[in-house]
Amino acid sequence: MNYSFDWSVLWRYREQLLGGLVITLLLSLMAMAGALAVGVSAGAAAESERPLLRRIAAGYVEIARNIPLLVHLYFWYLGLTALKIPAFWCGVLGLSLYSGAYVAEIVRAGLQGVPAGQRAAGLALGLSPALVLRLVVYPQALRIVAPSLAGLFSQLIKDSSLASVISVTELTFVAGAIEGDTFRTFEAYIGITVLYLVLATTIAQVTLWTLRSELVEPAMRD
Amino acid sequence: MGLSVLARNLPYLAGAFALTLETAALVIVGGTVAGVLLGLARSTRGRALRGAVALYIGLIRGTPLLVVLFVVYFAVPSLTGHRFTAYEAAVIGFIAFIAAYIAEDVRSGIRSVPRGQIEAALASGLSRGQVVRLVVLPQAIRRMIPALFNQFVRLLKFTSVASAIGVTELTGATLAVNAREFQPLPLLTGLALAYFAACYALSLVGRWLNRRYAIPG
Repeated sequence: MNYSFDWSVLWRYREQLLGGLVITLLLSLMAMAGALAVGVSAGAAAESERPLLRRIAAGYVEIARNIPLLVHLYFWYLGLTALKIPAFWCGVLGLSLYSGAYVAEIVRAGLQGVPAGQRAAGLALGLSPALVLRLVVYPQALRIVAPSLAGLFSQLIKDSSLASVISVTELTFVAGAIEGDTFRTFEAYIGITVLYLVLATTIAQVTLWTLRSELVEPAMRD
Repeated sequence: MGLSVLARNLPYLAGAFALTLETAALVIVGGTVAGVLLGLARSTRGRALRGAVALYIGLIRGTPLLVVLFVVYFAVPSLTGHRFTAYEAAVIGFIAFIAAYIAEDVRSGIRSVPRGQIEAALASGLSRGQVVRLVVLPQAIRRMIPALFNQFVRLLKFTSVASAIGVTELTGATLAVNAREFQPLPLLTGLALAYFAACYALSLVGRWLNRRYAIPG
């Protein structure tokens, strides 16, 4: 081993790294919002009483889950190149639809985890079905799914690295650029690995904390 | 016009699909063996070994797959001077990556066996090795089937990432054909369908095995 490390390269490229980190964060946050919107709808549809809705939700989940994320990304970026969607938004779309299928499965499990008696009791008390969902079922389901959702979000952050392949200038892309400039391959990739670790851990903790905190509680205590 | 581009390039794309399936099979076997060893090491009583394995698993699980491949392909050669081919780097990276996930599934599979059974087996005179072989593993493996097949399907999808370091498996080959023909929509739709068929089939096998070997009661 005659390789001499030069970690100063990370400091010299701090602005680029910070820029990449910001893009990774933005991309991930937008994709999380998208995945939640898609996933909660699909998860609720999968539990609905209408067979057609159930089948559409199940079809979406199977299709989205069984196609690689990279292919999702290329589909929006290259396949629908005629639409000229900017690379960043292709990343958001691809990540949202891919992760949305996993959110749907988590939501479905969460809804099934709330005892049926709770729903019946809510209805018996005279709440409307919509109120039962909002005040009784969802607050409990959210707490059940908190750990899985936190895991999924940290997975999503790591998955966002694939957007570099469709030329989104996020962290992995920046690492590649630093490597091209300086040949400091090891330093660049270890550097971003640490950043990913920090980012993924933080997002997972924030998710857990938010879903378990008072934010979703008041509805249950009033 | 859309389908003709697929028909024209079918032999090439079919070859690439075969490479994808072959790679996935190789990595499933390698990753399972490595994952079981890591999972067992994580469940032993030796502190140092357990700690080292836990560190490795935590590190890999916190790193994106693409970065793992880049490290194996680009960074390791600059340390050791030995350069892997893109395909070798991809296989090594996939195995190193998925083994960390499988190890965790193995560990929770082992933990799912009630302690009382192990104590009962020891009390009735079985040796430690026999307890692992005759009591723990038969139950743990059956409980692990759904989780394992989840990892296998993930892995099959992950093989597409090898295209990023220049392996012409199915995704890489499709992109190469597209660069020449520029018919992205039919090519990428075909690509998505091929992966869907393979992944769905694999997950059906998992569901069938799970039913077939379900622990009664």
